[in-house]
Amino acid sequence: MTHHLEDRRDVDGSLCDLLDLGPDAISFRDEVRDWLARNVTDEARAIPADRHRLSGHREALRRWTDALRAAGYLCVAWPREYGGRGLSGIEVALLNEEFARAGVQRVTLGMGETLVGPSIIAHGTEEQKARLLPRIVAGQDRYCQGFSEPGAGSDLASLRTRGDVRGDEVVVNGQKVWTSWYKDATVLFCLCRTDPEVPQHQGISYVLIPIERDGKPNGVEFRPLRQMTGQSDFAETFLTDARAPLDNVIGGLGGGWKVAMTTLGNERGGTATTRYVAFRDELLDLVAECRRRGLVGDPLVRDRLAWAWSQVEVMRFMALDLLASLAAGEAPGTAGAGSVNKVFWSEYQQRLGEIAVELLGPDGLLVGPDYRLDQWSQLFLTSRSHTIWGGTAQVQRNIIGERLLGLPREPRPPARSRS
Amino acid sequence: MSYAPLSVRAPVRDAVRRFLADVVPLDRVREISATESGFDPVAWRRLATELDVQALVVPASYGGADGGWADLAVVAEEMGRALTPGPFLATLGLALPAIVATGDEAAAADLLPGIARGDTVATLAWAGDDGTWALDPTRVTATRAGDESWRLTGHRSYVLDGHVAGLLLVCAETADGPGLFAVHGDAAGLRRTVQPTMDQTRRLARLDLSEVPARRLACASVADVVAQALDRASILLGADMVGGAQACLDASVAYAREREQFGRPIGSFQAVKHLCAEMLVQIEAARSAVRYASFALDERPAEVPALACLVKALAGEAYLRAAGDNVQIHGGIGFTWEHPAHLYLKRARSSDGLFGRADLQRRALADRIGL
Repeated sequence: MTHHLEDRRDVDGSLCDLLDLGPDAISFRDEVRDWLARNVTDEARAIPADRHRLSGHREALRRWTDALRAAGYLCVAWPREYGGRGLSGIEVALLNEEFARAGVQRVTLGMGETLVGPSIIAHGTEEQKARLLPRIVAGQDRYCQGFSEPGAGSDLASLRTRGDVRGDEVVVNGQKVWTSWYKDATVLFCLCRTDPEVPQHQGISYVLIPIERDGKPNGVEFRPLRQMTGQSDFAETFLTDARAPLDNVIGGLGGGWKVAMTTLGNERGGTATTRYVAFRDELLDLVAECRRRGLVGDPLVRDRLAWAWSQVEVMRFMALDLLASLAAGEAPGTAGAGSVNKVFWSEYQQRLGEIAVELLGPDGLLVGPDYRLDQWSQLFLTSRSHTIWGGTAQVQRNIIGERLLGLPREPRPPARSRS
Repeated sequence: MSYAPLSVRAPVRDAVRRFLADVVPLDRVREISATESGFDPVAWRRLATELDVQALVVPASYGGADGGWADLAVVAEEMGRALTPGPFLATLGLALPAIVATGDEAAAADLLPGIARGDTVATLAWAGDDGTWALDPTRVTATRAGDESWRLTGHRSYVLDGHVAGLLLVCAETADGPGLFAVHGDAAGLRRTVQPTMDQTRRLARLDLSEVPARRLACASVADVVAQALDRASILLGADMVGGAQACLDASVAYAREREQFGRPIGSFQAVKHLCAEMLVQIEAARSAVRYASFALDERPAEVPALACLVKALAGEAYLRAAGDNVQIHGGIGFTWEHPAHLYLKRARSSDGLFGRADLQRRALADRIGL
């Protein structure tokens, strides 16, 4: 072989080039390509995708985000009237591909863009959409998630955090856990029980709780949780008479469950069409590392790397299937298709992390000063969470079994009284 | 041509599915499998006259339809689903692409129209006995018997449908290196013996050749010709495996919904539900790979060698798992001769083993992607 796998990162080019796209899509792509050619900077290209490696790049990320905001490249799938760009699934894929080709991040505004916004668009009132969505695009509202509780993980509907309606406010008391992105957040999107008398799923409300009101604390206290990586990406959240206006209840009082399912649906669906690009880069990094260490001649190493390559290729092919359906104007998959993706990529990442630290031999046993992790130890440990958050691998398999295959649900035990 | 959504292939899929349900339903599969040849010439003929399957990817200049491999892969998937026995894979996956790959126009003009019409059953015999499925010309030696005429002597084992093929393409060693030869199924000096197979739906044969008259096909590299044929056969076999695995999943789900134990359908137990879910994840992955690989056969030939190995490995593992878990989910009934679950398990085993099991495929994949 005259070429090495890791030297041909974009050998297969664009998926969208394989599709029969109309002239509108082509001119949109050219517009994006042209904008990138004029605006990409070296410092933007240098911003790492891994949030744990951002130090030294935060200002660059802020400048790049501002540039994207000014050009209308944030929250691109949202309707134009709320600050988005109204892009179709195919156009979002085109955009992602062009950004990847230019070697820069297509910044998303955290959970505000990926989780809260879509829920507001699906279930919010006109007033809420007009008031809340532009604030997310502008970077004024930055959201963190308050769903899970110490006693309510996969069984989210058993949550106990209380919301009492007093006048035109909801007053929230309880404890949340696994609050991600809390460090920079201004609003907590939170599930609480506003009616304890009705069946579990019907008494839940989806409330947006400001972390401060008028510059004063609003009863939302974060205590960082240290995870197995040594980092603190999550917090426990203690809510003590935290107040939110009734206007901040999405989907109406008691209507929170369906809103939460929209949120989780988005979390589980995610960016299925371009995820493979990052996974391929990651795998090629590992191949390069193995070559540096003289390992690529080992038949066992070759078997494992070839297996990993197959999995990344499959993610590319599944993305292409999805794009082909979108391009043909067909509905993108059915309920549960996101679960297939989630199971596939999360378990792939976990296996790749295991393979990587095994292949590194004794070096895979070491960490840096202050428990600093290299790329592969980080992957090995972080990937344990991928089969837990957003619905565990077991919950995903229940969804696949029940929604895609039509298998019967597990009988529920008799309802217990809530005290 | 652009990458088409799955729905575009639905008419082909439905037509083949109806044909197989009508002409080769499961009872008929069992009858055919119980014969020594395992081959139903009437069904093969009807496949050609009613669906034009044999002509599909034959070039138009040789009596074919000049169609796409993407459609042929859909046919293969349906045959896998229906456990269809017969020489589809040997004729269209191995022999046809081998003849095309030689570039020998005279041979193509003589041999391809018969395949396209459904008159000719053909196969390719290239491997040695060592189980690697690698090209080994030395098992058969070829000597010149005249200007155009050759004589082959030696043997080949594990020849797919070698006992029923009227046209055998045999790799043999000549004084000037490896050559590819066409041999008539009823040629003098050729003895063909069925090798009984665990998979009742797929036959292998041993060929013993003693001074068998043969015609040499002109080609630059026998190794390239065999590689191209194997790539195509592997992708078609991948499609067959996806179809078989899907049939296993469908059967498991149907059974798990109706079979009750401990007062509830067994499909409501997570232990069973998760087996089914895992089958689906692996089948979806393999199906996407087969779809892309068959697209590449038509549109991106440079990608084919790597994709063939990738597809073969993925589909093989997905099918073995689905077929095994299908037996498990059916419990005792799934272990009987009467229930079809074992037919799938055996076809999964033979499909994964044919042309090299998954780890051999990954070894080749590593080479082909530049690892």
